[in-house]
Amino acid sequence: MKPLPELTADEQGRYEWQLRVRDFGLEGQRRLKAATVLVSRIGGVGGSVALQLAAAGIGRLILAHAGNARLNDLNRQLLMTTESVGLPRVETAARRLRELNPHVGIETVGENISESNAADLVSRCDVVVSAAPQFAERLLMNREAVRRRKPLVDCSMYDLEARLMTVLPGRTPCLECLYPEPPPNWQRQFPVFSAVSCMVGSLAAMEAIKVVAGFGAPLAGRLLVSDLRDMSFRTLPIARREDCAACGSVAHGG
Amino acid sequence: MHVRVEFTGQLRTAIGRANDHVDLPEGATVAMLLVQLGEHCGEEARPHLLNASGQLQPSLLVAINGTAFPSRQAEATVLREGDTVVLLPPIAGG
Repeated sequence: MKPLPELTADEQGRYEWQLRVRDFGLEGQRRLKAATVLVSRIGGVGGSVALQLAAAGIGRLILAHAGNARLNDLNRQLLMTTESVGLPRVETAARRLRELNPHVGIETVGENISESNAADLVSRCDVVVSAAPQFAERLLMNREAVRRRKPLVDCSMYDLEARLMTVLPGRTPCLECLYPEPPPNWQRQFPVFSAVSCMVGSLAAMEAIKVVAGFGAPLAGRLLVSDLRDMSFRTLPIARREDCAACGSVAHGG
Repeated sequence: MHVRVEFTGQLRTAIGRANDHVDLPEGATVAMLLVQLGEHCGEEARPHLLNASGQLQPSLLVAINGTAFPSRQAEATVLREGDTVVLLPPIAGG
């Protein structure tokens, strides 16, 4: 195992306030610096994930999202700017994140996750955060993460509802344990306030930070179901499916 | 007997309400509840509960008194008076 990188004086100053977090400290910060996180899509949810991870000092981010920013992205995709409409989303996101924290290495991939790039992208990261608005894409991300034994944080929202789970391959249920196949009638255009997508993106980033730095208790074997209409937050126990096509053949242990 | 049913995601939008109290015969299972709901919930909501063959929608997650199961795993579970069943079709907004 490679030794953890040291922090520069500038980094120690930048992260001074979070270095005080109980059970995190200098070693947790060095673990973040050593880690690479793949973020699938940088829209309302994934963009918030990337922003939080960059602020926290993750070593490297791989941002995968196809296409150019549109006017109607701006109510929630907070890494975009009015001037960036018509320009590639990943390039604007990379610029904004570098302005926030130049210590973070950022790789941009102007494609969505697909069969042709999933294996390569997952092989090059330590943790995957999946925030795609298409269910087939999220199931593919889950399969690849499980196959390569990489922790996956899956986050989603609809209207004022949000859901979040963390998959630790070999230890916990995976996304496909819950949803064996894509829903037949998911409507791509979903109602969204940025306040909701940012909330679940921030929670997902916290899960990724905990998993990378090795502290706290991630949402392993639990599904967070929240509804901001009544401010309810519930964590529902979930179980593996022995016949799960994604993780059923993966040896499970403690 | 009565069970409380909560609807979430696009199912709630399609059904037009957040919850319902459903009257079921003693010994009714989750499958019976979902078929009964499917018969009365309208065309827009039905595909979230049942597939075209009238079987439980595999992608529907069902939480019974706070523990979540895929619908096909939950279908034989016998419900009891006062149970709360939360129906969670997948959401994927990113």
